Amino acid sequence: MSGLTRRALLGTAVRGTVLATMGGGAAFLVQKAHGQVVWQVDAARCINSRLGEAGVEACNLCTTECVVALSAVRAVNEYSKCGRCNICPAYFNITSAVDDLGLPSEKLCPRDAIERKPIGKVDPEDPANNFYEYIIDEVKCDGCGKCAIKCKEPLGLGSIVLKVRYDKCVNCNRCAISEKCPKDALQQLPVGQALR
Amino acid sequence: MTLALVVVLLAQAIPYQRPVETAPQEKTIGGGYKTPPVQKPLPRDYWLQMADVALLGAATGLSVWLAIKRRSRKGLAWLSIGSLAYFGFYREGCICPIGSIQNVTVALTNPAYSIPIVVTAVFFIPLVVALFFGRAFCGGVCPIGAIQDLVVLKPIQTPRRLDRILGLLKYVYLGLAIFFALKPGMARDFLICRFDPFVGFFRRTGAPHMFMLGGAFLITGMFVGRPYCRYLCPYGALLGWCTRLARRGVTVTPDKELDCGLCARACPYGAIEKMRAVRKDCLYCARCYGSCPVYRRRSVSGAGSLDVQGSDS
Repeated sequence: MSGLTRRALLGTAVRGTVLATMGGGAAFLVQKAHGQVVWQVDAARCINSRLGEAGVEACNLCTTECVVALSAVRAVNEYSKCGRCNICPAYFNITSAVDDLGLPSEKLCPRDAIERKPIGKVDPEDPANNFYEYIIDEVKCDGCGKCAIKCKEPLGLGSIVLKVRYDKCVNCNRCAISEKCPKDALQQLPVGQALR
Repeated sequence: MTLALVVVLLAQAIPYQRPVETAPQEKTIGGGYKTPPVQKPLPRDYWLQMADVALLGAATGLSVWLAIKRRSRKGLAWLSIGSLAYFGFYREGCICPIGSIQNVTVALTNPAYSIPIVVTAVFFIPLVVALFFGRAFCGGVCPIGAIQDLVVLKPIQTPRRLDRILGLLKYVYLGLAIFFALKPGMARDFLICRFDPFVGFFRRTGAPHMFMLGGAFLITGMFVGRPYCRYLCPYGALLGWCTRLARRGVTVTPDKELDCGLCARACPYGAIEKMRAVRKDCLYCARCYGSCPVYRRRSVSGAGSLDVQGSDS
């Protein structure tokens, strides 16, 4: 009987030690948790937005490599840099035939994820004289980069760039896109910096 | 090649002239226009992440209760289906305690690396529970376990020796996982996640060879119960160690049962040895109780259904 109690006591002691060790480890991890990092596309490296990078076809590795369905990368229009052009080379396929409104007949986005609407003082008589806002539907966008590559200089002002959506990104230890990206454009940033 | 590119670019560039040199701002655009904020989808809400952790804790607790107190095969089967749906297919198998072994290792040893609080919680909760009640996480919560548990069709009893030798693989895997997590920089390899055979199913996308591996595990799993859990899962190794210290666990008790051996035959995981449950191998599926004629008779007659608690109290 006393042997049994001693065993139980020993068991409790060992369990307590293990529990304390785990608690210490957990406490250590919690107090340094603020330094976590997330993935983000560096627009200055990304082929689709980097100046001086010649290419006809957009690099779509962000779409094909991401482990999340429809990719966690999508295009973002930085509105304050956008030219609000009447004929946006990222919205229209500017090589397509011109229709009777004087606009290219085809859109560029394969998923029809960009919305075009006149803003400011709208002049209904002369649509070409208006400013237009190009709003990207994040739910439809799969980050193929076709609009981003057209938006950069000299055709556009480079307001559309590819970015990681943090609501979709699962923050893989090794981002599958980063492993394939030829320019190493996917970088890990401290979470505060990436969300700014 | 470059020339061709330039020619094509020029051919495109000539008809299109960019109308502006700089972006027009609010004043130029006029009409009371305000520049909208740039779209910035934030991460999953913090309270939702915490709710996931709470759910994990609750599911593990429920698994303990169903396995040890209620001894309900049906309850555990439903719980594992629920966990598979939520932690597996809805949360897409990420984050999970198995993969977090490596992240925890790196975070503990590397001052420049840290993990979110949620990951810390997900890693430690099942271990703490195992320290008191055994591997309840495996039975009702782990989506990787659940997907294999649901395909168990006609399990064979693997020879004890083979079972034991194959069981050593998980310690090797755990060792490798820690070894590769400790490597610096790009040499660091998160192989548990990389070779997770089922995450492709959960995400409905992935590399073809991983789908093949997952399929192979599921087909094997029809005849050899939960091969990943028993022979490879490195977290199972940790849970096994904690379970050895557990005060309570699943018991196949001599006083209440008949020692007829039906439970041993019903166990697809070879966790009943000499008519007694082997705690470190038991995966809390409760098939033993489901097969027990004592329980079946009691539940049919509806009497004494509360008199089924372990004799170890």
